[in-house]
Amino acid sequence: MKIVAVTACPTGIAHTYMAAARLEKVAKTLGHDIKVETQGAMGIENKLTENDIRQAQIAIFAVDIAVEERERFNGVKVIQVPLQEALKDPHSIFAKIQR
Amino acid sequence: MTQRVGTSLEFAFTCSLSDGLHARPASHLAEAANDFASESFLTNLRTGSTASLKSVLAIISADVRHGDRCAVQVRGTDEQAAYAALQRFVEQVLPGCDVPLAGLSPTAGSDTLPRILQTAGVKCCFGSPVTGGIGQGKVVQLTGMALPTGLSARAAIDSQSELALIKRGLAAVRARIREKLAYQQFSTEAAVLQADLAIASDVSFAQKLTEHVSQGKSAGQAVVEAGEFFIDLLRHSESEYIRERALDVEEICLQLLEEMYGRDFQAAAFELREPSVVLAETLAPQQLLGLDRKWLKALVLEYSGATSHAVILARSLGIPTLVGVKSARGVIPPGQEIIVDAVRGFVVTELTPAVERFYERERKTLASRHGFSPLQTSGPAITADGKTLEVGANASSREELTVALENGADGIGLFRTEMAFLQLDRPPSEEEQFAIYSEAARGANGRRVIIRTFDLGGDKAVPYLNLPAEDNPFLGYRGVRIYAEHRDLLQTQLRAILRASAFGQVQIMVPMISSLEEVLQFKNEIAEAKRDLERRRIAFQSDIPIGIMIEVPSAGFILDQLCSELDFFSLGTNDLNQYFLAADRDNPKVTEISNVLHPGFLRFLKQIVEEIHHAGKWVGMCGEMAGEIRHLPLLVGLGLDEISVPPPQIPAVKRALSQLSAAEGKHVLDEMIASRDRLAIENLLESAQAVKSAQPLLSKELVLLGSESRNKEEAMQEIVDAFYIAGRTEDRQRLEEALWSREAVYSTGLGYGFAAPHCKTEAVTADSIGVLKLKKAIDWGSVDSEPVNMIILIAMREPQLANRHMQVFSKLARKLMNEEFRGHLLAVENAHDMATYLAEQLEISLH
Repeated sequence: MKIVAVTACPTGIAHTYMAAARLEKVAKTLGHDIKVETQGAMGIENKLTENDIRQAQIAIFAVDIAVEERERFNGVKVIQVPLQEALKDPHSIFAKIQR
Repeated sequence: MTQRVGTSLEFAFTCSLSDGLHARPASHLAEAANDFASESFLTNLRTGSTASLKSVLAIISADVRHGDRCAVQVRGTDEQAAYAALQRFVEQVLPGCDVPLAGLSPTAGSDTLPRILQTAGVKCCFGSPVTGGIGQGKVVQLTGMALPTGLSARAAIDSQSELALIKRGLAAVRARIREKLAYQQFSTEAAVLQADLAIASDVSFAQKLTEHVSQGKSAGQAVVEAGEFFIDLLRHSESEYIRERALDVEEICLQLLEEMYGRDFQAAAFELREPSVVLAETLAPQQLLGLDRKWLKALVLEYSGATSHAVILARSLGIPTLVGVKSARGVIPPGQEIIVDAVRGFVVTELTPAVERFYERERKTLASRHGFSPLQTSGPAITADGKTLEVGANASSREELTVALENGADGIGLFRTEMAFLQLDRPPSEEEQFAIYSEAARGANGRRVIIRTFDLGGDKAVPYLNLPAEDNPFLGYRGVRIYAEHRDLLQTQLRAILRASAFGQVQIMVPMISSLEEVLQFKNEIAEAKRDLERRRIAFQSDIPIGIMIEVPSAGFILDQLCSELDFFSLGTNDLNQYFLAADRDNPKVTEISNVLHPGFLRFLKQIVEEIHHAGKWVGMCGEMAGEIRHLPLLVGLGLDEISVPPPQIPAVKRALSQLSAAEGKHVLDEMIASRDRLAIENLLESAQAVKSAQPLLSKELVLLGSESRNKEEAMQEIVDAFYIAGRTEDRQRLEEALWSREAVYSTGLGYGFAAPHCKTEAVTADSIGVLKLKKAIDWGSVDSEPVNMIILIAMREPQLANRHMQVFSKLARKLMNEEFRGHLLAVENAHDMATYLAEQLEISLH
């Protein structure tokens, strides 16, 4: 499955990137194609393009704060979870997608 | 319910006041009772003690606590009216006349306490730290209740005149309080004054005084004994509020003594016999010097002035000192073992095992911080961009001199000479002074010693000089101004200083110069002292440099004239600032105004330094302003040749200087001078600390393996302490709070036994990574609920180099998700390998 994701935490120093790394890894083991955008202290990195979003079947927001440029995702199915979910139990997030 | 008991009217009530019938409600009650001729009494039915309702002290002494049942009896000519009024008062007014006084009692667990102590729920009192250091000992309360020498032994002249003296005194005290009350708008302060007034008008107090006088005692003796009687009574109360009132009685007695005998009496000397913490309202420098240094472990003052002479002295002697600890003597009883934390600013009044453990670790931290020095402390400090600044010491005694030289002072920028004059009841002789100055000159071992001629007068009164009492001593007869009248004294001192100049690099400095005439006159005096020594064929350095303190603003506007006559200058910022801004530096009400960061004052300093340098002369700074680490960017920016600071501060100042940039300091100074408000200035000063960006993200000192921390609080503290030791934070409290407020969002325990606490805060001087590996895993509230044994802490300042550092941080965060990386971190055995491995993985340098 083609997935896009956004991670963002309050200080944007650590968890944003930990969650991104975790989602990428688990997605890979499950055979998904994922691109994760981080919205942290460095601003938006690995930015999802219009094309990325259009091609994706689903978007995962693992965030504790509002997603920047949210309008990009209008018309896309979004699953939003607290960022900690991505660290605690990333598999359950992907299980939800499958359903 | 009215009842006639015997011949009096009686009613009963239950005390609903949470702190019982303490002084303020009692004073209202007594006021009500005093409106009537009838006698009225209150009986505490719990204790059976009875008190006249007309005496505040008597009511307080009845020790009526919350929930106590009391009976009131009224009898006399207007008993019906009195009864009705008192009953109405007790039922309707009394319950409402107890606005709690703020900040009087030790508070448990405030958020300005280190997390460990907060969690332990320790009891403490807050104050402002003015020295650094930690002291532990038994409380000795220094009370001012002592008679002038000579007076205590004096017998009464006759009881009539002694009584008259007391009456006049009491009337004057009452008038003084009423006058203050007239200007007092805030209800709490007015209520305190009301309570004072009630004591000064109290019938029991007056009775006790009369009693003592009629036994043949002098008025002064009667005041002291009556005061002690009531103080003792109040101190034994169960209620903290009432114990607190003992201080009011003491205050009234002191005011009374002052009215009766003038301002000259001083408290008796105290003898310390074991490790002690001295609690006092305030201290005279002589009193402080009278205390045995061996046993004096710390000083706690209720008065809030941070630049009083006692405080300055305490700082240079390295005695841990807190000021502004409100009502300390009322709240902390004598004999109690306490810890004074003059690093963070509080007194711990209860030494639990948690407190002991905390301070055991804290002492190690402070010792390590003192020992940690990335540069040689001897030799002048050089800023990161290569500008040299001498760091001298302010000293006035052999002890301070020793501390100064041990700490690597480049010289003595201010050697005060007043102590020798204050300690004796006659002026010190030439030989006595020569011994002191020559010892300093020799001890300094070739380094510059600037000896300041005596600055007496002002607040430093010397009995044998017969200086007149003045309404405004700081603007009066002091410093150089008294030299003409006391030429002999000056000549003696000048000869002693000149003789000492044969033994080292001595310079002479004059205080309080306001005009060129004073300088010329002073130079004439030096010439005469030189002639005298030449006649006696005694050696001295003939071209001894002569300089002045710049502390009177007028001197700053005639520098062209002064530079042509003088060799050097030193900015005495304490007085210069208070004269410049017309704000008494010791008056807490105007502390806000008396501010060395005022743009006008900074402009003035800049102009002074530029003009002196333009004339090719030397300028230093010896005021308190120089001793504050946070001011250093400014001082470097000013381009001073030297700063002179309290001896214990030298290593920290030198270390901080080596991390600053002079160019950046100049820039900050210019921006501050242009600032329009205080907040902007504070922010600029804060960002100036960040100039220390030369530090790497990670260094070996920040890697702690084999930690014995027992919980999250201790572990966090341990890393913060490591930052502090390495000079990466000057404000541990703020750094800790930043970390915990992130923790409050959700735990940074990321699973697998790892935690990654982090924060963005200006409390660190550089972006940093800290590592702590624990011997025993601890709970961190991790996502997988497993305990944690590896902690990687990230602290960053607001952007600057943020992007580059953020890339490292994000890389680190991502790597922590990698099992192999975690495995490696867990396996590494020593700090060096850990730092090296991390540096490799994150592609950063350790230097």
